[in-house]
Amino acid sequence: MKHNSTARTLAVLVLLGVAAFPLYWMLVTSLTPSERLFDATPNLLPTLSQIGTYAAAFTETSLRQWLINSLIVAVGTTVLSILLSVLPAYALSRLTFNGKLLLGFALFMTQMLPEAMLVVPLYDIFTKLSLLNTLLGLILANTAFTVPVVTWILKGAIDGVPSEIEEAARVDGCSRLGIVLAVVVPLIAPTLAAAAVIAFFHGWNEYVFAQTFISDDALRTASVGLASFVGELSTPVHTVMAVGFIYTLPAVVFYLFVQRYVVAGMTTGGVKG
Amino acid sequence: MAIKLQNVTKSFGQLTVIDNVSLEAGDDEFLVLLGPSGCGKSTILRMIAGLETVTSGEIHLGGKRVDQLPPSDRDMAFVFQSYALYPHMTVRRNIAFPLIMRQFRWWFHVPFIGDYFKRRIENSPEVRGLVERTADTLALTKVLDRHPRTLSGGQRQRVALGRAMVREPSAFLMDEPLSNLDAKLRTAMRAEITQLHQRVGGNFVYVTHDQIEAMTMGTRIALMRDGHLQQYGTPREIYEKPANTYVARFIGTPPMNLIDAEVEGMTVRIGSSVLPLPDKAERPGGNSRMKVWLGLRPGALAIVPPGQGKSLPGTVTLVEHVGAESLISVKLSGVHTAHDDDGGLTDEVMVSVPGYSELRVGEAVGIDCLLKDFSLFEKDSGVRVGGRAAEDFLAGGRVGTIRTAS
Repeated sequence: MKHNSTARTLAVLVLLGVAAFPLYWMLVTSLTPSERLFDATPNLLPTLSQIGTYAAAFTETSLRQWLINSLIVAVGTTVLSILLSVLPAYALSRLTFNGKLLLGFALFMTQMLPEAMLVVPLYDIFTKLSLLNTLLGLILANTAFTVPVVTWILKGAIDGVPSEIEEAARVDGCSRLGIVLAVVVPLIAPTLAAAAVIAFFHGWNEYVFAQTFISDDALRTASVGLASFVGELSTPVHTVMAVGFIYTLPAVVFYLFVQRYVVAGMTTGGVKG
Repeated sequence: MAIKLQNVTKSFGQLTVIDNVSLEAGDDEFLVLLGPSGCGKSTILRMIAGLETVTSGEIHLGGKRVDQLPPSDRDMAFVFQSYALYPHMTVRRNIAFPLIMRQFRWWFHVPFIGDYFKRRIENSPEVRGLVERTADTLALTKVLDRHPRTLSGGQRQRVALGRAMVREPSAFLMDEPLSNLDAKLRTAMRAEITQLHQRVGGNFVYVTHDQIEAMTMGTRIALMRDGHLQQYGTPREIYEKPANTYVARFIGTPPMNLIDAEVEGMTVRIGSSVLPLPDKAERPGGNSRMKVWLGLRPGALAIVPPGQGKSLPGTVTLVEHVGAESLISVKLSGVHTAHDDDGGLTDEVMVSVPGYSELRVGEAVGIDCLLKDFSLFEKDSGVRVGGRAAEDFLAGGRVGTIRTAS
């Protein structure tokens, strides 16, 4: 038993190391003096005297604005994706209607189209709708990609809600919308949180649309801003690594914030298991 | 309020699961829908509640047709087998939920604002008082602010009952509410539900496959089989005057013995024994011979020394001691019995004798038939012979279809 738990702890530590090392490597690189960047023996400890790189990242670049823009896009994508996915997911899970299978399949199909292929048609549409060079346009484009995924994830969770609980609510006088909002949504909260993580990360990391649809410097997102450092002749490695490190942090914080909701067992106790 | 089902049929595609069932339960009646798994009893209950549509026929509550109304407009409360509590709500909110729904407005859907108004309703003196009185009745006061997952099975079931009671509905519908509880708790909850019925009145419709629950709780029992109503009557009628061999074997533990016999005039022939029937016995008219199943409860048979009087000869095959009585299985020689209504023939009867029996397996015994309380069923159809029961429960249109056991 004890042997097992030690092995498990070791396995977790190894996985944790694999996952966290790139982040740590970014931190170390951003805090390594330029002359030691290309040493034959890599430097594994940060040089704290280089901490000024981080202050410089904020003062010498538009990082603050990029992060704010990214946050607006990511949060907007998350909220809109969840709002637009709950009802279709419920319908796919619980209702019987013509074309249900086709609709579900069509949602899947959207995932097979690469983003790059849609850039041109979306560009055309956004020009006509005056959504080009706006964060709203970016949110809509991202949402179009996340809604099918989130819908399918939520459908799976709603499938798992015992139908008796819904029937009890019907007998108790709940409308269909009331059942979804007051009974089903709270019961699938863990999955909602997981879906929110997916939508947030998509919005936060998205690059192709942000690069194509945004031309105004003040509206750039962090992913595009970060890429802009990579120059033809030189790349400021310290700044790229520092900005990259900062860029990663909000996503980690968001995950830590919602991960406590991503726990199983919310429906325990409602019906006899 | 009276509940009335009129020629109710339910089909799923080509499959008819409820076939033309009619029954009527008067005010404050405790109606039990009884039958084995898959007989359609839960479907009937769900149709009464509005959780299933009716393919044809009508359902009336208190004289008002309700089968076209949504469940929330039928003024009925439903207690599910699986409790179906709202796991994310406290016990207090679970019980108050139907009351909150009564005052629900569309803007309650808006997050935070809706929560505020729901909490306000929950904390209003009227709702709070009602919830606490209900909780007090069901001994749930101490757990009001806990979540269902922290409660025991019995407590969860009581919360489900509380949620039903608090609405003060015209009818309580219960779908095997005790089947998930252990035997001891089930007995306690059985008494609680019976007391609840006596206290709050109203119609109860209770689905179970457990004949003990049906016999002890029901004021009227509808016994179902394969979507057909077999018999509808009081527990006593069903026990004493089963409408057919299926009912005879379903009700009573151990079940009624069905012995191959022949009635002629005022006598019944079993094997080589000819026994006189009592004067007031229900029997076929005229003096012609008729092949029948003679139905005798295990208590209406007695074990006597072999060869005594007109006893039937047999051999003991099993002795079961169940405390206050012993159950003795006896294989008869030269006499057939029906093991159950659709099974093959066996030659065994079961006899209950008071106290601890000293009989041994393989011992030769005689079986005396005490023809005081008995039933006769037509051999071919399995329908009760000459009895009043069938006519009784047909009168008044309470029963639509009686399917014979075959």
